[in-house]
Amino acid sequence: MATGSDSIRRARPLLGTFVEIGVTGEAAFAMEAAVDAAFEAVANVHRLMSFHAADSDVSRLNRQAGLRPTRVHAWTFEVLEAAVEMHRRSNGIFDIAVAPTLQTMGLLPRSAGDPPIPSGPQLPDAIELFPGETVRFRSPDVRIDLGGIAKGFAVDRAVEALRRFDVQSGIVNAGGDLAVFGRDPQMIHIRDPRDPGRPICRVEITDGAIASTARRFDPFRSSETTASAVVDPGTRKPTDTIDAATVRAPTCMVADALTKIVMISGTDATEVLEHYNASALLISTDGDVHITLDWHHAVHLAA
Amino acid sequence: MTKWVRYAAPAVAVASIASPAYAIQYLSIGEAQKQAFPSATQFTEVQAGRVWKAEAGGRGIGFFVFDRVVGKHLFIDYAVALSTSGVVQKVEILQYRESYGGEVNSPSWLSQFVGKASGSALRINSDIRNIAGATLSSTHLTEGVKRILAVYGNRLR
Repeated sequence: MATGSDSIRRARPLLGTFVEIGVTGEAAFAMEAAVDAAFEAVANVHRLMSFHAADSDVSRLNRQAGLRPTRVHAWTFEVLEAAVEMHRRSNGIFDIAVAPTLQTMGLLPRSAGDPPIPSGPQLPDAIELFPGETVRFRSPDVRIDLGGIAKGFAVDRAVEALRRFDVQSGIVNAGGDLAVFGRDPQMIHIRDPRDPGRPICRVEITDGAIASTARRFDPFRSSETTASAVVDPGTRKPTDTIDAATVRAPTCMVADALTKIVMISGTDATEVLEHYNASALLISTDGDVHITLDWHHAVHLAA
Repeated sequence: MTKWVRYAAPAVAVASIASPAYAIQYLSIGEAQKQAFPSATQFTEVQAGRVWKAEAGGRGIGFFVFDRVVGKHLFIDYAVALSTSGVVQKVEILQYRESYGGEVNSPSWLSQFVGKASGSALRINSDIRNIAGATLSSTHLTEGVKRILAVYGNRLR
């Protein structure tokens, strides 16, 4: 077993990234069971909300919801409710219906029967939600992708699973979208978007969630960073307002979604951040670090 | 109204003493085998250092395949547990290493990990346990799992 028998750490490939779960303070067998249950929760979110899997709720919605009301799992519905609310609060900046643009950029696959890529303005209120976890799209051309919010939701469900096992403290990190719980603070290092091998700062988190977004990089092929995967629904192009964003929020789902708004709106995102009781750190294109006043004490810049 | 505090850009380091690295050992092969097949009483090597047959009371209950994906700055050891009918039961990461000072698979860089206990962050340069930023894609590992299934999925039954 692991050397520190009072803590374990595991990692599995899920949600298109590496999900790491660490827990402390229980007997080894109890921690293993808790971690297994937490990974199972993440795997369930993956199965329900993957754009790539043909039998996911998201794929079913993309095929059918423009034609007839479609019922989804309670978890999928919860994420859709949050996404629609976030869309409204951000005046359309957070938009799960940008999937067709992500397809043209090659970030999402296209499948047979997909409509031509739209060029006009985004359809307002494209997603309609009804009682009984039922969803309808306003047009058969609407395609959604939950890639900007589901990872955070998965982290929240994993934490919930760990807590059900009475785990005292832990961390769930889904490729940078992470939540920490328990008495002790955890130190999180944030990568420098210009030089991803190095941290630009570290942030202390106790009982909370943070999520980060930056320009993409691939340590498998090179250390060069490339364009952001966040698309501005206004221009249908990758956003270039800022280089990177990290958001702290009460839940990881909210933190995850808010990073997209901060990537697009930059320091103009304050109203939405305040509404969700969130703080943010962003790295502007000149490399300067901007931190909301309520959070700057917790952030330590790298020397 | 929330205000923002602005800090001048920290200089991008030109050179440093040690290469920046982030690495962690999650499980040894032996630990991962027991995790994948808790009821197994024996693991018989089918292919040296790579494939093991898990047995319980003399009866085969599955296969354990060890593999590694290596990129320019990334090196991941992982294991796939297959059922006797060749279905993936579990994919577990054993060791994760990221380095930007040079090629990750150079022997001198790798030697610093020899003999490290599992469950511990390998403390190099600093003591980074949790890292966030741009999301890393796990595509290469997913392709590795597909390759394992293509090679062993039918053959091991």
